[in-house]
Amino acid sequence: MNQPLNDICIIEFGASVAGAACTKTFSDYGARVIKIEPYDGGKLRRIPPFKNDIPSINSGAFHLAFDSGKESVIIDFSSNSGLEIIKELYKLADLVIYDLPPSNIEKLQSVLDKESGPSTVSITPHGLQGPYKDRIENDISTLAWTTRMYRNSIENEQPLRNAPESTLVQIGHTAAAVGIGIYWGHHHDKIRRDAEVSGVEAVLGNVDTGFVSWVFTGNLPQRIGGQLKTRYPTGIYPCKNGYIVLSANEEPWFSRLCIAIGHPEILKDQRFTEFREDNWEAFMTYLGPYLEKHDKNYIFTHLQKHGVMVAPVLNASDLLNDSQAIARKSFIEIKDDKNGDFHFAGAPFHMNQINDHSFQLMAAPELGMNTNDVLGEIGYSANEIIALFRAGVVG
Amino acid sequence: MTSQMLSGVNVVEIAEVWAGPFGCSLMGDLGANVIKVESYPRKSETRNAGDPRIDPRVAEGEGPIYERINTHHHGNRNKQNIALDIRTTEGREVMSRLIKWGDVLVESFSAGTINRLGYGWDSIKEINEKITMLSLAGWGQEGPYLGRIMFGVGFDAMAGHSLIRGYQEDTPEEMIPILHSDATVPLTWIVAVIGSLMQREKTGLGSYIDLAQIEDIAWQFPGIISEWSMNNRIPKPQANTDACIVPHECYQSAGEDRWINIAAETDLQWQSLANFMEHDEWSELGHPWSSIVGRIKDRKLIDDKINEFTKKYDPFELADQLQAKGIIAAPVLAPPDPLMSPQLHARNWFQIIDHPYIPERLLGGFLWKVQPDMPSWDKRAALVGENNNDILMQLGFSSTDIAAMKEKDIIGDTYVEERT
Repeated sequence: MNQPLNDICIIEFGASVAGAACTKTFSDYGARVIKIEPYDGGKLRRIPPFKNDIPSINSGAFHLAFDSGKESVIIDFSSNSGLEIIKELYKLADLVIYDLPPSNIEKLQSVLDKESGPSTVSITPHGLQGPYKDRIENDISTLAWTTRMYRNSIENEQPLRNAPESTLVQIGHTAAAVGIGIYWGHHHDKIRRDAEVSGVEAVLGNVDTGFVSWVFTGNLPQRIGGQLKTRYPTGIYPCKNGYIVLSANEEPWFSRLCIAIGHPEILKDQRFTEFREDNWEAFMTYLGPYLEKHDKNYIFTHLQKHGVMVAPVLNASDLLNDSQAIARKSFIEIKDDKNGDFHFAGAPFHMNQINDHSFQLMAAPELGMNTNDVLGEIGYSANEIIALFRAGVVG
Repeated sequence: MTSQMLSGVNVVEIAEVWAGPFGCSLMGDLGANVIKVESYPRKSETRNAGDPRIDPRVAEGEGPIYERINTHHHGNRNKQNIALDIRTTEGREVMSRLIKWGDVLVESFSAGTINRLGYGWDSIKEINEKITMLSLAGWGQEGPYLGRIMFGVGFDAMAGHSLIRGYQEDTPEEMIPILHSDATVPLTWIVAVIGSLMQREKTGLGSYIDLAQIEDIAWQFPGIISEWSMNNRIPKPQANTDACIVPHECYQSAGEDRWINIAAETDLQWQSLANFMEHDEWSELGHPWSSIVGRIKDRKLIDDKINEFTKKYDPFELADQLQAKGIIAAPVLAPPDPLMSPQLHARNWFQIIDHPYIPERLLGGFLWKVQPDMPSWDKRAALVGENNNDILMQLGFSSTDIAAMKEKDIIGDTYVEERT
């Protein structure tokens, strides 16, 4: 199929979430991604859930989702024989993504042609230099450095992370953005570039951290729980059959909300026009009964008709059955003879020239299933591949 | 000068809040020429402070409040700014020339609005068939939710994320609203628009990109969907725990409201942690905690033991010591703490920004480094309409045209303050 990234070949090193999420963005749109994996398959393939709770190296949800459309090659690059293969593999690549400790990246870059080789992106927790460069972090400990755990929590209570692995996904997304940028640059100005994404910097420098706000204004974010009671209504509120989330604390949404719930008089009430920060409980005597009376889908439809920013709080089952998701084919049913059928998210964007809702999610490769083919493609003979296999260099 | 990878790529932004504008700043970091067409005479959403007495987003300073709001500054570096009423005849002519100039047009109105304004894809491609147009409506450009509006907190809630990221014992209303999609959607759309530019090299034509923010954020959470679709389970809040790893928690530290994350993902890391805590016996064969199975059974007891231990230590010093032993450990940073990070200083990550209305600030730096051409903060967030004249002259308007547009309030460089 004609896809915008058909012309790109990427080599992905590493077996963790960030690198896989990075290159998945490319493979979804036609890039060839050759994933160099360790013999044990690494972390990504071991992250649950697994279909029917039966773990295997080829059936984890994160692997099936984030490795879709890639090729899997097992190479042990700790040996000279392995590094010789890598040196040849680089010749296929337009872009290389490393998601490995700095010492491994340094070793792999030692066989990279710095003149005519591909551009690279290195993903590490703290960057390739500095006193913390060799620290090992996971999804949650990386987030801890970014002030987002602090921002996600209530004062004097335990700080909270986001969804498991989502920080690493964000870091992978960041690597994809700069990765396609340096690919484009290399393609046009012929300058080979080496980018690096420090996970901490990628998240700390993005929006929605407590640091951004504090460093600019000197004000610490309020950590008082979900419903702000000075600038309201914003946050998650219970309704008749679940929860809705509102973002109606500012104009014009506050006025629209008051009118929609049948209480335009609030807009002339001094308690809310002059002293709103002191009168949350009084406001809830108007909003609370409306929410108690109606279910979340009614509230979503009714308030949106009045131009109020509201959405229902959904779980995974609700989301798969959401009328919008069904209409847009947001989720794709994966027919899998081995693992059973299941759903994944479809395309993160649609481009009119190529994939108007005809997006196909390709299968994720079994561990090492492309080793022989790829080694053959770069010139190794059958006997040489057997010798490398016997030496434990490839698998 | 900032990185030059996207040198020569012209971007026109008519977008609000973060997912559009922040992505355009990142395009600017990569070297694109970005012109922000800012809403006028109505203020941009990110310039709308609440009551400044209680709105924590406003920095102290002398100038207009709308120039001192952090939510605006952070998403608008490395751009030029024209404040334009795009609904007027003259505004349409300016937009038409900008669209001819642009390689990329980024808009984030609710679905349908851009068509009603006369800037839908059918109109845009008539003006410039090579342009890429990106729309960022929350639910996309079609379907029963067409035209509905929401910020990132809504997409977080609809994607199932809000129900799993809280305290285990709490109800959803205790959940802190977050704007995860604002942080991540820009990263996706950069791939989309550069992909479209690559497609243009093959076909000679631009593309229309429909990115529904809810779909992008759902793409990021395969664990939430597959827990249901693979095993018919609705994921529940698990706070900071991991069902398969113990310890994997956020523990109390010495000091007020100070915390440290510690995880031992392998028996070897557990052995190091037990040794550090002077309890080698916990990792010796035969002890129930020497195996991950035993540690999971005794999760609470182990967490209590570790918590008793960590309470005695400063989280930064303890993380240093644990990391030296090969254990995953990180202090939980409060907003001022990054300024004390020796790592961030060693990497010269912070940026010093000067601004006419705000005292000099040390701000957070870039999302990436690039050799040989590093990103740089060439342009602070522009004042409203700061580049009106330069942009209009570049587009071929005369001084007389510009004066007339200013006279008719089609362009401007100040907003009416609603609150002082």
